[in-house]
Amino acid sequence: MAAQAGSVGAFTDLVHSYRERLLRFLLTRCANFADAEDALQDTLINAFRYIKTYDSRWRFSTWLYRIAIRNAARSRSGDVLPPGDLCDEESDPLRQCISDSEIENLWLSARRLLNDEVFAAMWLRYAEDMSIKDIAAVLDRSASWTKVNLMRGRRVLDEEMNRAVTESEAYG
Amino acid sequence: MDRLAKRLRENAEDIQVTVSDELDRRITASLQGIEPLPDKPVRSGHPASFWWASTITGVVAAAAVVAIINWRVPAPVATEEAVDLAAVVPEIDWKAESAMLTSPLQQELDDLEADLRKAEEKVKQDIGL
Repeated sequence: MAAQAGSVGAFTDLVHSYRERLLRFLLTRCANFADAEDALQDTLINAFRYIKTYDSRWRFSTWLYRIAIRNAARSRSGDVLPPGDLCDEESDPLRQCISDSEIENLWLSARRLLNDEVFAAMWLRYAEDMSIKDIAAVLDRSASWTKVNLMRGRRVLDEEMNRAVTESEAYG
Repeated sequence: MDRLAKRLRENAEDIQVTVSDELDRRITASLQGIEPLPDKPVRSGHPASFWWASTITGVVAAAAVVAIINWRVPAPVATEEAVDLAAVVPEIDWKAESAMLTSPLQQELDDLEADLRKAEEKVKQDIGL
């Protein structure tokens, strides 16, 4: 692999398709857009720096997300407030990136209702289509933990989705 | 794919983000300035003689401890002289009065003897003596 040999060009090509997916994910975990961009930059720098330690038995995206989660946590470590309360609705970077819709984006509800790790597990499963094994590897958790918490997350979001539908029907 | 999974996927796609040209340039510039680290950390290698020296030192130390423990002079065993218990233990004055239980027992014996005599007389009458 040319990227593992230290070629910046090859590495840039390799990660090109992941950049926006990673940024979207980081946006859900950072206080503002600038922090998410910084976290993306740090993720890619760290990935390149440690590219020789990458084990091809893992999916490359799994490895990248593992680094991204650590960088997002580091960028947030100075914050006093928990992630759900980091910003008000108007300055919420995630909300700013979502086009207006009558029904609230379920990921906004997810971020409000789920804790950080369960949110990440849900995102990796349903937005990134990752396997349980890969999610467990990204979050450094067991497969059982991942399954149980995905199920809990699903139950919470299912209730939220049904509640929202019922409300919208009630108000016409 | 169930309804929730479909909705989550669609909602994730609704989050519109783009990597700006400026961020792209920043990332590329940062990558140019770094070199990938070697895949495995370099071990601080010790020469083979170090292993042997530490092994021999350990064995010698263990042998020394065993020798010290085994060669230690045993502590003298304490001996005790015989003690005259009669001289030590004070004499106890056992003063106990015997219980006066003879009277009821004597009465019982007299009654039994009287019963026996009556029985003998009755037997003699029965057999015509």
